[in-house]
Order: sequence, then C-alpha cells, then structure tokens
Amino acid sequence: MDGEKPIYIQIAEWLETEIIDGTLKADDKVYSQYQLAELFNINPATAGKGLTILLDAELIYKKRGLGTFVSADARDKLLRKRKDGTLRRLVQELLTEASLLGLEDEQLIELIQAERKERL
Amino acid sequence: MQTITLENVTKRYRSVTILNQLNIEIRENVITGVVGRNGVGKTTLMKMIAGFIKESDGELRVFGEKPFNSISVSANMIFIDDMMDFPDAMTLEDLLVEFDRFYVNWDGELAVRLLEYFGLPLTLNHRLLSKGKRSTFNAVVGIAARCPLTMFDEPITGMDAAARRDFYRALLKDYIAHPRTILLSSHHMEEMEDLLEDILLIDGRGIEFHGSITELQEKFLSLQGKEDVLKQYATRYAVVHKSSVGPLTEWIVDNEHTESELAKLKQVGIRIAAVSASEAYLAMTGQTRGGVDDVFNAMERK
Repeated sequence: MDGEKPIYIQIAEWLETEIIDGTLKADDKVYSQYQLAELFNINPATAGKGLTILLDAELIYKKRGLGTFVSADARDKLLRKRKDGTLRRLVQELLTEASLLGLEDEQLIELIQAERKERL
Repeated sequence: MQTITLENVTKRYRSVTILNQLNIEIRENVITGVVGRNGVGKTTLMKMIAGFIKESDGELRVFGEKPFNSISVSANMIFIDDMMDFPDAMTLEDLLVEFDRFYVNWDGELAVRLLEYFGLPLTLNHRLLSKGKRSTFNAVVGIAARCPLTMFDEPITGMDAAARRDFYRALLKDYIAHPRTILLSSHHMEEMEDLLEDILLIDGRGIEFHGSITELQEKFLSLQGKEDVLKQYATRYAVVHKSSVGPLTEWIVDNEHTESELAKLKQVGIRIAAVSASEAYLAMTGQTRGGVDDVFNAMERK
C-alpha cells in the first residue's frame, strides 16, 4: 500500500527493520508497548497492536514477567519475507511503470546494471 | 471492566431531543475521543456523565452509580472545559491548594512544574489569563488531578500549536505512568488521533461509530486517479466520498477489496492509500474538502 500506513503497521515495520539491520539481535529484549508509546507519542494500545503483529508472526516471543524478546530465526524469516513480499511488489510497480513507458525487459535490465555500476 | 455504561439514555430539553436512546460502554483506563459535528450533543453527553445534568430517560451508570448528585462520582471525576469559573480574589496558587484538598490523587509538584513550563506565574488571577493561557491552566489541572475519570471538553481552545502539542504529550506521559479513563472531545481530530485508543462518533441520529481508532481507519481506503478510470474499475464497493484536487480525483471507498482486486486497481494506474482516522471521520460526517463547492456550483447553474 502506498501513502500513509496505519501507525501500528509503521511500528511493526520499524521493529522489523531494527531486527534486519541488527540493532535488535536474537534474544535481545524488545521495547515494551509503553516504551514504544512514549517513543512514537501514541496510545499504548496502538503500540501493543504493532507488537502483536510480530508476536503472531513468531518474530518475537514472550517470557512471563520479563518482556518480549527477538526469536532466533527472526532475521532469516524477515529477509525471506521482504524478498518474497516487498521486493516482488516493487518489481510489479516497476513493470507497471515500464509498460506505461513502453520499455522492454532488456532495457530494464540495462537500467538496473547501469545503476549498479554507479553504486560501486 | 466498564467505567461508564449508558442503556437507552435520552436527553431532552423541553420538547427538543438532544440525545436519543444511547447505548454506550466505556471501558476502564481507555482514552476515548468524543467527536462529531457542532451541536450533536457531545458536551451534553459529557456533562450527563459528569453528573452536572440529569438524563431524561434510560440508565446511566458511572463507577456503577447514577452520577447526578453523587458525591463519590464527583470526587473521582474531573470535567475540564473553558467555562470553568473561580472566585475573583483567588490566585492560581490559591486554586492549587483547593484542588489538593479535593482530589485525593492530586500531584501538586507536577502541576507547579507544568505551569512553570507553560509560563504561567502562580501569582496570577485565573480571570485575568488570556484565552489560551486559561485553557492551558485548566488542562494542567485536568492532568494533575489524576482522577479515575478525566474528561476534557474542547481543552485546546485558544492554545497555540506548541501548547497543544505539549498538552497532548504531557497527557500521554502521565496516562502511561498513571492509567485512567479519559474522554477527550476536540474538533481537531488529526492532532489527537495518535493519543486515542477508541473513538466515539456521535451524529444527529445517535452513535455513528464506537470502536478502536485502527478499526475506524481500516473501514476505508483512498483511491486516487483519473475520474474515468475510477468510474470504470472502482465501483465495486460503496464510495463514501468523492473529491477532486486539480486533475486528480480521490474516492474514499469501503475497504472490502481483496488483494487481487487491489493489484488490478494498481495495474490500471490507481493509487491506493490508507486513510488516517481523522480522514475516515471527516468522510463519515461529510466534512471533506470540496463539499462546500457544491453550494457555489448550484448557484452558478441558476
């Protein structure tokens, strides 16, 4: 989805990015819903919904009375999810734009390769 | 647990019915935004809950009691609006002493520190404060009283943008540390929506919506594109609101689409976006941009 996303989804995605980039490692303690509420200036119940998304996806787990922690395989799962989900969606958007402009696949690949070179 | 319950509650003034057969339950320790257009009875509802006015019909309970003439509801509740009136001779400092005597959870240190932060000298007289400063003082009292039921009716009237932001932030921080049931009404929903857990939307017919803020938000989607494209592809679900900004048309539609339907809309160049809770609210109450244009368009056609 484009544009502004519901805030609890933004929170979930922010936590996912923290796990992907290694800020939060396996078995690290995750922010509580109250810490998230303070941090993002939102209602704690809304912050809790963000955490629930990660709990349901088993990216984090609860330890009774201690809080929530990052699952051992969270990063691998997320990398797979972003590849199958986010990246695929971006490719679909790329193809929509390309067909609007009448570009062939070869021309797209040339563009990608040129961009790669720029980054080296 | 419920802090407030209304069963078929009606309020009439003489022959005019303001609120008709309301059924509402407000859970303990939830922040609820009370919203609706002018004159739908938001203040009447909150004053009834506060026990300031009596319901005409139905069952109203606050902490399990009828609030009207109840000293225990009164002691556990604070109602903040811009009509709060205090004796002329009393300074802000005198008022703080009285609040401390009445409200058992009163945090005097927090009140003094917040007033200092907002630039309100304690030696001032309440009546001499500017509109914005008076609202700020009242709002600080509402926070520092830490009442199990805290109600703010249009608390931000006259406050500047920085004071409004600081007030909502202070309320959130104190709520996290000391959870309580809060009702908050404002016409500026976009400024308070992140603070809220629930929304109670009242309109002329009664309760239009009562649920979580995310639920309200997810009722709708925004579709943007060329009008003829939208007409061709996007008529499957109810269109709540249409508006056009420049050459682009935006439709707010019921969020019933499946993933594949959304993918199809994207392929034909329609931009899909989530709506904020305040946009959803404005769409439901017909307050979206361009509505007033119809008045002028109708006159030009004559």
